[in-house]
Amino acid sequence: MRNISLILKRFTRSVLLVAGLASLGINAHAEGDPAKGEAIFKAKCTACHKIDTRMVGPALGPQITEETDDAYLTKWIQNNQALIAAKNPKALKIYNEYNQAGMTVFAELSDADVANVITYARTEWKKLQEEKTKGGGANGGGAAAEDKGPSSLVIWGLLGVIVIAFIVILVLNKVIATLERLLLRSKGLLVDEEEETADEKASVDRLATVKKLAKNKKLVFFVVLCGTIAMGSWSWVTMWNTNVHSGYQPVQPIKYSHKLHAGVMKLECQYCHSGAFKSKNASIPSLNVCMNCHKAVKTESPEIQKIYNALGYDPQTQKYDSTKAKPMQWVRVHNLPDLAYFNHSQHVTVAKLECQKCHGQVQEMQEVYQYSPLTMKWCIQCHRRTEVNAKGNAYYDQVLAAHDKIKKGEKVTAAVLGGIECAKCHY
Amino acid sequence: MDSNKKYWKGLEELNKTPEFVEKNKHEFAEPIPIEEVLSGGGLSAKTPRRDFLKALGFGVGAVTLAACQKVPVHKSIPYLIKPEEITPGVANYYSSTYEGSAILVKTREGRPIKVEGNPNDLLSRGGLSASAQASVLDLYDNGRTKDPVLNGSDAGWAEVDSFVKGQLASVAAAGKKIRIISSTVHSPSTQAVIADFITKYPTAKHTNYDAVSYTGIIKANQNSFGKAVLPHYNFDKADVIVSFGADFLGTWISGEEFTRQYVSNRNSASLEAKKMSRHIQFETGMSLTGTNADARIAIKPSDEGLAIINLYNAISGTTLPGSKKLSNANADKAVMLAAKELVAAKGRALVVAGSNDVATQVLVNAINSLLGSYGTTIDLDNPSRQYAGNDAELVEFIAEAKRGEVGAVLFLDANPAYDFYKAAEFKEAVKKVALRVSFSDHADETADLCNVVAPNHHYLESWGDDSAVEGYYTILQPTINPVYNTRQAEQSLLIWSDNAVKDYYTYVRNNWNTNLLAKGGLAGQPGWETLLQAGFIKAAPVAAGTYTFSLDLAGVTQTIITHSNQLAEGGKVQLQVYQSVAMRDGKKANNPWLQELPDPVSKVTWDNFAAMSPSDVKKMGLDEFGVVKITANGYTVELPVLSQPGQAQGTVSVAVGYGRTMAGLVGNNVGKNAYPFYSFRNGTFQTTAAASVEKTGDIFPLSQTQTHHSYEGRSVIQEVTLKEYLKDPEKAAGHEGEHEKYDLWEATNNDAVHARPVYDWVMAIDLNACTGCGACVVACNAENNIPVVGKEEVGRRREMHWIRIDRYYSFAQNGKAEADEKTGMVTKEKEIAELENFDNVTVVHQPMLCQHCDHAPCETVCPVLATVHSSEGLNQMAYNRCVGTRYCANNCPYKVRRFNWFNYWNDSRFDNYLNNEHTQLVLNPDVTTRFRGVMEKCSMCVQRIQAGKLKAKIEKRPLADGEVKMACQQTCSANAIIFGNRNDPNSEVSKALKSERTYYVLEELNVQPGIGYQTKVRNTNETELQA
Repeated sequence: MRNISLILKRFTRSVLLVAGLASLGINAHAEGDPAKGEAIFKAKCTACHKIDTRMVGPALGPQITEETDDAYLTKWIQNNQALIAAKNPKALKIYNEYNQAGMTVFAELSDADVANVITYARTEWKKLQEEKTKGGGANGGGAAAEDKGPSSLVIWGLLGVIVIAFIVILVLNKVIATLERLLLRSKGLLVDEEEETADEKASVDRLATVKKLAKNKKLVFFVVLCGTIAMGSWSWVTMWNTNVHSGYQPVQPIKYSHKLHAGVMKLECQYCHSGAFKSKNASIPSLNVCMNCHKAVKTESPEIQKIYNALGYDPQTQKYDSTKAKPMQWVRVHNLPDLAYFNHSQHVTVAKLECQKCHGQVQEMQEVYQYSPLTMKWCIQCHRRTEVNAKGNAYYDQVLAAHDKIKKGEKVTAAVLGGIECAKCHY
Repeated sequence: MDSNKKYWKGLEELNKTPEFVEKNKHEFAEPIPIEEVLSGGGLSAKTPRRDFLKALGFGVGAVTLAACQKVPVHKSIPYLIKPEEITPGVANYYSSTYEGSAILVKTREGRPIKVEGNPNDLLSRGGLSASAQASVLDLYDNGRTKDPVLNGSDAGWAEVDSFVKGQLASVAAAGKKIRIISSTVHSPSTQAVIADFITKYPTAKHTNYDAVSYTGIIKANQNSFGKAVLPHYNFDKADVIVSFGADFLGTWISGEEFTRQYVSNRNSASLEAKKMSRHIQFETGMSLTGTNADARIAIKPSDEGLAIINLYNAISGTTLPGSKKLSNANADKAVMLAAKELVAAKGRALVVAGSNDVATQVLVNAINSLLGSYGTTIDLDNPSRQYAGNDAELVEFIAEAKRGEVGAVLFLDANPAYDFYKAAEFKEAVKKVALRVSFSDHADETADLCNVVAPNHHYLESWGDDSAVEGYYTILQPTINPVYNTRQAEQSLLIWSDNAVKDYYTYVRNNWNTNLLAKGGLAGQPGWETLLQAGFIKAAPVAAGTYTFSLDLAGVTQTIITHSNQLAEGGKVQLQVYQSVAMRDGKKANNPWLQELPDPVSKVTWDNFAAMSPSDVKKMGLDEFGVVKITANGYTVELPVLSQPGQAQGTVSVAVGYGRTMAGLVGNNVGKNAYPFYSFRNGTFQTTAAASVEKTGDIFPLSQTQTHHSYEGRSVIQEVTLKEYLKDPEKAAGHEGEHEKYDLWEATNNDAVHARPVYDWVMAIDLNACTGCGACVVACNAENNIPVVGKEEVGRRREMHWIRIDRYYSFAQNGKAEADEKTGMVTKEKEIAELENFDNVTVVHQPMLCQHCDHAPCETVCPVLATVHSSEGLNQMAYNRCVGTRYCANNCPYKVRRFNWFNYWNDSRFDNYLNNEHTQLVLNPDVTTRFRGVMEKCSMCVQRIQAGKLKAKIEKRPLADGEVKMACQQTCSANAIIFGNRNDPNSEVSKALKSERTYYVLEELNVQPGIGYQTKVRNTNETELQA
């Protein structure tokens, strides 16, 4: 529903624009009112037609623009079945081209209504084409401009080289200075020694404080201790987190945005991850789930084209060619080791946990990353703290009754019911 | 009963051979080559130090580098278009058929990973044999033929089709014969396809050829009653069963079905009704069925026919001409006793014979007719279709081929180049046929002779149907797309015969629509869908009629006696060829699960052997596993000898199914081929022969698991006779008096900590129901990703099976032997008497797996707490915590813990088995594969418990009893294993454990095991067999 309303919104916008243009321009054929036509188009036609691309039926823009016989068009729109029955050659041709899928009969549309729709389709198509030529030019220019810029890698590389060169120069200068001084000293030419004393004194003073501090054994001990503690805790944390990949955010083959789908569009998680209800795997949706919407929505997007390519789907003919199909290779974000058995349905259907509890605020993630550490400690912590959701589940009646006998009144967590025993997850 | 009976697993244990004692002492010790290192100048030499530093440097560097490495990127590849019925991570089950039994196939993400019995299956009610359980592994066999082959090189299907069609046309035009040779086809649709093929090519003929044949029974029924059928036996209706060498619980006709029927008269329910059937077995080698018999009499093959004649005489009260006494007086007495018991149970009696000799089977028919078995225990009107092989037809084919009359031959699931007794002659003859087609999915011995190999689908990739018994029709549906470029044989036949229907699926549907659906009261699309869901239809059975035998038996008797005389030829050993429970006829020789399944009786893996009586072995002066040369019927083979208690003296038994040369990586050259010992007589293949056995002096060690995991002589088996049991069930079950019970934890903790508030998972195993077939072992392999380790490793006691079947021998108790034991007098004479007693041993099978003890000794010794107890009574094993000290295994009194000596799933040394990406697709994704250096053991299928609980939670209902089934329990046709919650007083397992027969193994150790065993009851007759 949301997708459809989005399309409609887009259409409304463009249509308003076109309406403005149309009031200025001259209509070539029927003199309908495109604004009225748009309303009818939205109400009756969008289920099967688009202006610019083929859906269930032909793309209305080019089709109606090419067909100049308005009388025929009116007849077709009002009652295409009659035309087909009468074996009108034009009607038969298009009927057969679209697999003999009959168009709905719109007998309720008056001639004027039809004229409005036709006008709307033609103006809209004209407008779209104009936009396309303009837009194409602009895009081309942009791409060309972008091409001129050097890549960021090159810039950073150059900067690095410069910084390193600068450091090298500094060091070399210092070395040269020292060597010169040594040379002079060896020759017994200690020139302007007097002049330097003031400076030297200052530097000695500075070093003196350091030396003084270094002589303070307590301080040294304290500093070393701090260092050890810092290093130790750093390595402790690092080692404990070996192979813990919170924040792991691989690049996926399709730039799919959970933020858009789950956040903005508010799609249910399980619409796509339907396995979470009934299986151990939440499962990445197969591409036919994407196609439920993307057969019509955002068809022009290069990311959606990737779906079409993977499926061997041709949006023009709307046919699937399984010989061209190649599976989509997503990168797994959440990797549990093979030795741990985890079942989504237990947590989603039985315990009624929110997906966000483990996966984080997915609806705000542009690209999904691993939110939880997925360590055994993390699992157990939750099993210790979370009370069992036994409400309305007859399975737990007997289980809880048995437990009540032993642990009167105590909070019944997953752990109490044996949820932290080895063979609950490891077998 | 605290009996004086002594149980032993093998002769080594009984005799306490020095090797056995030594091996036992070092069960856990692995020698560390310290001496070698020190004496070899090891540490003092210069190079090792430098090498050490090099290694150290490299190691540190490598580790540092490895530590810098980022985590590997895991790709996640979803379906492009997800099939609606698949949810990744959730298993789907499809009904299908394995050899006529309705099954359920468990699939994950579209790949079958386990085969389970259909609980409504008419034959075994959800039980499955070891080979059925293992069949899923064949699907992923890397050695399968991956493309059709034309004249020795890979070809496309189009080329193959045009070649075969051209050839068939020219053969038909020349008027030459076309032969289809298959193992028994019992699928109605396949039969129809073949019939259509024959209509197109009228010179074609279909021959059923079974490597292990039942032609004798079929011909005998034709002869006796005019019905050429294999009868459907009802062991559940028999109170007295007498079997002459028929291994009906194992390999004979329909083992799983007969097991279910047989056990229904011997299980807890039956005992509570104070009823137990009586089973007397006369046989040569110790068979699985023989180990379960109440009385087992070892007889020579030459005596078998004579014993049947004597039985007939005793029952009918007449004397057939030429009858004579057996060479074994004991057996003679037993026959008389058996006759008495059979007559007393008239109408509830059944006599079966395993022989493939028509005359013998005719005589058995006559006996059964006298006993009124037809219409009760034997059903000729709803016959079995499982075997319809006609031995004579294959022999005739060879003669035809030799004469050059045959223009084309097609082999469907038949491999005569391996299993025909004169394979060389067969090969010669087949070479004269112009078009030779094999449908085999392996490049097997017969496919090797063919110019066209049109590889068939695995059954899990196929459409089809089956009918094991008249009126019972099951459906086969594919559970995976064909893995390789194979095509169903039926489809090939349809194409080659230009059938109007080119697609076998359509053909099957048409066949069901017109012929079969109506039999189950179904019709049309809804009917088809119902069928696919249920897996089978059952037509109303025809009432089983009674049949009376009324032929003259003189000729039959004469034939039997002549044959007996031939076998008993002086100075020769009598050879018997049999099928082993694991390998059967050898078609599945390339299946590592089956190769590693210990034989139920001998406990030998990965080999066949010559089983001989211990006294014969001693007489021949053979060492353990000494190699002998066996010659019979012009064929010689060298095999290691196995001292088999219970083997008739003067006989040797060899299993068929081994010695394949072109089975694949796993099965090639495992054991020796015994098929050439067959002979062809009176129109059927014979499995016995007079043989000469010579000692060669070589030793060929067998990998036998029988003496692994010793109990150090502690008593673990309880056994009672039916009489004693009925007299006083309480006392008979003989709990070993009350043991002092104390709680390990009492002193330090309050009760609540170790309570099992909700579930207390326990198991009850009925020793009286368990037949020891080993299906549970393979089911456990499949469910729990248990690796195959191979012959060498089994030899080092490193088999990984989580459940094993311990097989205990004891001397049959005659009261007398016991008294002698008590007096402790052992004279030289006594020793000889004891040796003779090896003919007369009884056997108890005991499935042994982790007992999930409440006071688990393993838990207290683990230094890293890798094995701990759960609040549900399970002994948990956390693999990733285990550091491999093996203390737990050392401290386990049941010896059920297994150590991963290698990374079996990824080690090139185990390349033959499961170590490739393709075969690993069979793994259960819910169970981790274990790495080198960790301990593992039965987890009580904790993944199934967890899945069952989760299902109940999602459906918001309590977990029902019996909802969670263990893999071993599920496959058991005998229902010997019951699993459940002890806290629920109404659960099946609680009821079973309340039985007075229940005892706990080694309960005196106070380990408080979670698995209760029910005492074995033997329906012995006190007067019998008093020597």
